[in-house]
Amino acid sequence: MFSTLFLHRRKLLLVFGLALASVIASVMVGDAKHWREIDWLDVLGEGGSAVAVAIWMLLILGSRPAGRVTDLLTLGLGFIFLAMWQDNLDEFIRIPAEQWWDAWLESVAMPVGIALLTYGLFHWHSEQLSINRQLAKRERLFREHRFIDGLTQLGRADYLKEQLQLHLNSTRPMTLMMVDINDFSSVNRRFGHREGDRLVREIAELLLLNLRQSDLICRYAGDRFALLLPGTEGEAALQLAQELELAVQHFAFKHSHTGETLYQRISIGLTECRPGDLPARSIERVNQALLTAQRQHGCFLAA
Amino acid sequence: MTMYCGRWYERDERFIAAHHQPALLLDLLLARDISSHKILRGSGLFYEDILTGSHYLSPAQLQQLITNGRKLLPQEDLSFRWGDSLWPGHYGVFSQLLANAPDLERALQALVDYRRFLSPLLVPRIYQDERYCYVQWLDACGLQDERRFMVETAMTGLTAMSRWLAQETLPWRYGFSYAQPAQDEQYQVYLGPDLHFSVGVDVMMIEKHWLQKAWPRGSATAYQVALREAQLLIGEDVAMNGFNEAVYHYLTQQLRAPQSLPEVAQAFAMSPATFKRKLHKHHCHFQQLQDQARLHVCLYLFHINGWTNEQVAHYLNFNDTTNFRRAFKRWSGLTPSDSKQRFLFAAG
Repeated sequence: MFSTLFLHRRKLLLVFGLALASVIASVMVGDAKHWREIDWLDVLGEGGSAVAVAIWMLLILGSRPAGRVTDLLTLGLGFIFLAMWQDNLDEFIRIPAEQWWDAWLESVAMPVGIALLTYGLFHWHSEQLSINRQLAKRERLFREHRFIDGLTQLGRADYLKEQLQLHLNSTRPMTLMMVDINDFSSVNRRFGHREGDRLVREIAELLLLNLRQSDLICRYAGDRFALLLPGTEGEAALQLAQELELAVQHFAFKHSHTGETLYQRISIGLTECRPGDLPARSIERVNQALLTAQRQHGCFLAA
Repeated sequence: MTMYCGRWYERDERFIAAHHQPALLLDLLLARDISSHKILRGSGLFYEDILTGSHYLSPAQLQQLITNGRKLLPQEDLSFRWGDSLWPGHYGVFSQLLANAPDLERALQALVDYRRFLSPLLVPRIYQDERYCYVQWLDACGLQDERRFMVETAMTGLTAMSRWLAQETLPWRYGFSYAQPAQDEQYQVYLGPDLHFSVGVDVMMIEKHWLQKAWPRGSATAYQVALREAQLLIGEDVAMNGFNEAVYHYLTQQLRAPQSLPEVAQAFAMSPATFKRKLHKHHCHFQQLQDQARLHVCLYLFHINGWTNEQVAHYLNFNDTTNFRRAFKRWSGLTPSDSKQRFLFAAG
């Protein structure tokens, strides 16, 4: 989070610099209110909101790369923060009426901030739609960040089960596929687990490239991937499996130090899922199919 | 009264070479961009210590590393990945023994004989009946919450090592003392489909004809040379049992006449107070070890000797089978017949 925040240091300096400047200016031109004059309920309400807005701003900056949408969101929240901040300062310091900037900060910064934020959110919405298109094969219908695998950024087995449940409630036919890298354990042994990790990640990317927009890929565990192919059955599914096999067979994975090419093969188990099937049963069946496929070094479609 | 004549190691004895198994675990965590000071927190170790190649850890320190790793990568398959490349490993002569083992039988023998160096926290024990060879995994010195982690590691370790050396996948079957975890995908991928949970013991089994099948990577000569070297290296008086393992082992031998805590303390040449303190240090209670020993002996008599409830009850000096059944249920959570059914299912 802090490394992302560093990218936005200028914007942060601007917003917090202005906030500090307004404190200094207020202290210089105004006089402090008496302790008893302060309305603590107001301080809590207005000050608390200002702090919350500042936290939102930091969270957005900490989680986004630099860019136009980020600028708009930050500036919008920044102005709103400044307006609330100034409002809160008035609780402690009485500022003479002829100081025009005080009223200006309070009444102009807020609408400007809200306008910028609205404009920013509109663009964020379009940006999100285009990201969704990129994510389509990794994520379908619902999002849950706790189910994302850290190595491949694919959904984990929990995510697969949720998705299976969603699909099994519909009436469309569907094929579930399990893909396993042959003899993956020996890659780890011979070249180290860092190379093994990299291989899993790259095979995941490769499988993603060879899927249709409607398909979903998850990392089941270890070197095993689960693929969900809605609206696909029998021959069509086998055809797709063979394409994946060929793609991996021709993938020239390079050792990161020696540059040596390490060719890989995969085995694929398939099973057709019918409406009303239990997710656990489908997964059990497809794992069994995979075992058969591994013995035969190829693809196997379980009835 | 029989005295316990073996030697044992304790949780706080430093004898595990830091650059062996611990370094492998550390590297798996470092590869996921976790800083070394987070991994080593609370273990009293520094990263530089491990790099020296002459530093030793106690079982408690290694266990702290595991606890840290588990917290830092909560949904990861750390235990399985550690196990996957754990053996033969690069642990000097002991790894040479494993790597050159001519067949499964001698690899298992090396694993059992040199468990202090190859698997100090969770130790293997071998049993055989007419059809099967059983590898039971025992807590050596108080694993507590990390028991499941170590069972996953050790079982993956033996599975992966035998696959690597035999150059084929061996048809292991697996039994676990604990209930089926909500997420068992890693078990499926790293171990295989033949998984049986809540059977009261952590055990792997395989049909006996696999024991003598020659391994293509093995070499009987190199194995013999390594064996002699290992014997010379460690000498006679090195403790091969963890403290819990030693007490457990003693209790299983005395089951027909169950002994009280003071009697067992005496057999271990300690005062009852010292013995209790040691048990406490190793995170266990006397009764718990006693129950575990009885359960495991029962399972052995049922499944390996094929005895009936009456025979086992009589052997263990129960007055009647009703009492025995009640006791068995308390140790294992299952009735004897349920337990038999689960095991029969597992044994196919």
